[in-house]
Amino acid sequence: MPRDTLAELADEALVVLYANGDPDAARLLAKRLLPRVMGYAGRLLSDRAEAEDVAQEAMLRLWRVAPEWRQGEAKVSTWVYRVVSNLCTDRLRARQRRRAEALDDVAEPEDGKASVVAGLIEADRMAALDAALATLPERQREAVVLRHIEGLANPEIAEILQIGVEAVESLTARGKRALAAALSGQRAALGYEEAE
Amino acid sequence: MEDLDDLFATARASAMQPSDVLMARVLADAAAAQARPVAQTVAPVRLGFWAGLAALFGGGGVLAGVGSAALAGLVLGFVQPVGLMNLTDVLAGTTVDTLELMPGVDALLAEE
Repeated sequence: MPRDTLAELADEALVVLYANGDPDAARLLAKRLLPRVMGYAGRLLSDRAEAEDVAQEAMLRLWRVAPEWRQGEAKVSTWVYRVVSNLCTDRLRARQRRRAEALDDVAEPEDGKASVVAGLIEADRMAALDAALATLPERQREAVVLRHIEGLANPEIAEILQIGVEAVESLTARGKRALAAALSGQRAALGYEEAE
Repeated sequence: MEDLDDLFATARASAMQPSDVLMARVLADAAAAQARPVAQTVAPVRLGFWAGLAALFGGGGVLAGVGSAALAGLVLGFVQPVGLMNLTDVLAGTTVDTLELMPGVDALLAEE
């Protein structure tokens, strides 16, 4: 199938095409999903190497499930987010079991186009956010990241976390409050005092 | 909370991006999974009358052979070639002039 036509197709149709042997479907799916998967795993794990492993594993599971994929059952992105959530939960629990220090595992944010000083401030802010996120219970953390960073709607988050929409609202509200409390002592690190 | 929303926006902008190496790994996985032999489920094909008959005899060629043999037998039975008659006489040892297939019926016919 021509690439222009493929680009207009929904993820679900691309999965079916991939299962039928279309060579370009996988490339397009990976291009669409991998950045989201990587961003979400990276924010939950705060570790690039681990996030890459999770992202690769989640995509591998998608490739494997493709032949049995039934259209209309779930959105592909929702399914992949759910897989990433579960994989990250496993890794975070394993990390806790090993008693690794989550705060030391914070990854270096990538260099942006900002100046070196601004870049440092931004890195500090992201490190503070990651540290604060790490203090939240895992479901709250997932809900907050999906809602406020990944920008998903509550019904989709409910499907990913396999809970009700009201539970999502409760989790995000409590998570946001807890996050604000955790960050309130770090205003200097976030660079707001300089701005005021 | 405004600070928090600002922080979320920064987080969105600075999300970890997949490296080219990761993309290559993912696509290699995709190619490998796609190349893996998948059990093909082929719907059983409904055979027509002749195809079904041919399948019963073990294929169209066999059915043609059986049909040809049956036709040849029928022709030989009707035509009764001289050469074949001589051969059957030799094999049988006697000459059969008449053959009453239903001897009981003659008596009934004669009475009428």
